[in-house]
Amino acid sequence: MTEHLPALVFLTPLATAISMPVAGHRRPAVCRPIALIAICCMTVLSVASLWSVSVHGEVRYSFSGWLPPIGIEWLADSLAATMVTAVSGLGVLCLLFADGLGERPLGGRAVPYYTMVLLLVAGLSGAIYAGDLFNIFVFLEVVSLSAYALVAVPGGRALVSAFRYLLMGALGTAFYLLGVGYFYAATGALNIADLSQRLPGLLDSKAVMGGLIFMFIGLAIKMALMPLHGWLPDAYSDAPAATVPLLAGLVTKISLLVWARILYWVMAPSAEGGTLTIFALVTTFGILASVAGACLALRQRELKRMFAYGGISHVGLVLIGVGQANETGLAGAMYYLLNDAVMQCSLFVLAGFLALRYGASTLDELARAHVRNPWAIVTFVAVGLGMVGLPPTGGFFGKLRILLGALEADNHIAAAAVVLTTLITLGYFAQVFEKLVRSGSESASADQTETPWPLRATMAALVAAIVGLGIWNDQVVALLVDATAPLGI
Amino acid sequence: MLELIEAALRRPNLIAFVLLLLWGLYITITHHNYVKKLVGLYIVQTSVIFFLVTTGAKEGATVPVIMSGIEAPGADDYVNPLPQVLTLTAIVVQIATLGVSLGLVSRIYRRFGSLDEDEVLEKLG
Repeated sequence: MTEHLPALVFLTPLATAISMPVAGHRRPAVCRPIALIAICCMTVLSVASLWSVSVHGEVRYSFSGWLPPIGIEWLADSLAATMVTAVSGLGVLCLLFADGLGERPLGGRAVPYYTMVLLLVAGLSGAIYAGDLFNIFVFLEVVSLSAYALVAVPGGRALVSAFRYLLMGALGTAFYLLGVGYFYAATGALNIADLSQRLPGLLDSKAVMGGLIFMFIGLAIKMALMPLHGWLPDAYSDAPAATVPLLAGLVTKISLLVWARILYWVMAPSAEGGTLTIFALVTTFGILASVAGACLALRQRELKRMFAYGGISHVGLVLIGVGQANETGLAGAMYYLLNDAVMQCSLFVLAGFLALRYGASTLDELARAHVRNPWAIVTFVAVGLGMVGLPPTGGFFGKLRILLGALEADNHIAAAAVVLTTLITLGYFAQVFEKLVRSGSESASADQTETPWPLRATMAALVAAIVGLGIWNDQVVALLVDATAPLGI
Repeated sequence: MLELIEAALRRPNLIAFVLLLLWGLYITITHHNYVKKLVGLYIVQTSVIFFLVTTGAKEGATVPVIMSGIEAPGADDYVNPLPQVLTLTAIVVQIATLGVSLGLVSRIYRRFGSLDEDEVLEKLG
């Protein structure tokens, strides 16, 4: 039974998504509970999968018994299991948040909306598990198509942002597919384990290098790496408040994870000199993105845009860790990726809450609205500590490990970039915090309206995740190192 | 230099692919009409699919179905079927993208009464 868990984790949301139009045809109101139950089941299954992987070791799942490299293989190592647990857990929290937020009701559009949400989550778990480059392409496209549609839900300005996102994203997947084609032409293999056997010796080939560059360009668009980030701030500030946490927390992270898989699981970093160039390139882009993204965030007056640029700068931080070609850097980057997913999710939960409850979507509006909600303030303090990188949050330990990885590789510029990004992040969070504190002092009238329980539960769970990841950072990193150990870096 | 040109001429499929790709990118970037941008995107995706199909082609090879009666079929006699299978999936993905994008464009047209990017941005203010 436990060996089928990866497939079950993926099939639960997919089957629910497909049956959603039938179930919600007469009564669209049932869609939200059904989606919530499905993702809860998925969370339980993925926790079981994580437990079984941590006890019995990684699972290589071959669909319908066809063994790789001919059949389709799913790789459920501890990295994949951890990420899928994070995806499904954050999915539950985002749906709970949507429940408590009480946005304009969707009415008849609830059916396609929740179908898209479930497809998004299913595609994310598929992309994490997929063991060959072409399946990753298919699942990335499932994720992206649902994301385009979800961004466009409010209509108006969001339509234009969604269209831009679609143009950029579709070009990104086309480039990724092109890179996969180059790899196939050079090696005749698509399976990740098979490719890693065939690639050494072919690393001087222009087709392999070209394929790698094309895949990087494609994934860089999808992960909103600095010069290619244009679609992200608009898409995130115009998308519905209940959806952004899901998109911000998970969609860009998946491309980062895929890129790490390609760099380390497909290309062996210690193999030949040719690959070191690509690692240096990744580090350089990471440094640029982390510092420039943080500087741009400092200039924003609108909360959602500020947080979006903060996310862009954190993508750079993860890439710095990925580019160090050592275990400390990689494990640190993957651990930070996990933290960043939680933190981005919490940031946009807060932004959505402040905008809908207090009408505060810019810094000035925030200073005028007197926010006295203890839940929001505690969440903000926790996520602020995490983003800046102060203990005991996971953000601190993630940044520390990336920094140690950079020092281990004697890359002092990268280490300096991590520290500089931390300082600038402190700058823009101090701005928001100052407005939040000042907003409380102007008027003593307490906030009378009760916060609905789903909102309280979401915020409490997010704070617990941010702090918990920090307190148990050794255990989480040990899990991630488990996955990277066979690479021998 | 001459060697490079010669190597390129020996693979006309790659020349066609590069032309299509650049043409599609050019249309997507330069045109201001949303539907024309989509046409460019479609050409880019098609060029990639074209590239995938041509990687499986061989001179003098036939359909990858082993007929009874042929003894010891060799790999040189058959076209590689895998790129074609990948292509089928890629085409499905392409159609899905096109469907979503046309849906978005039609909603933009109904909302703003225009398909021109400049006019739409002007109405957004």
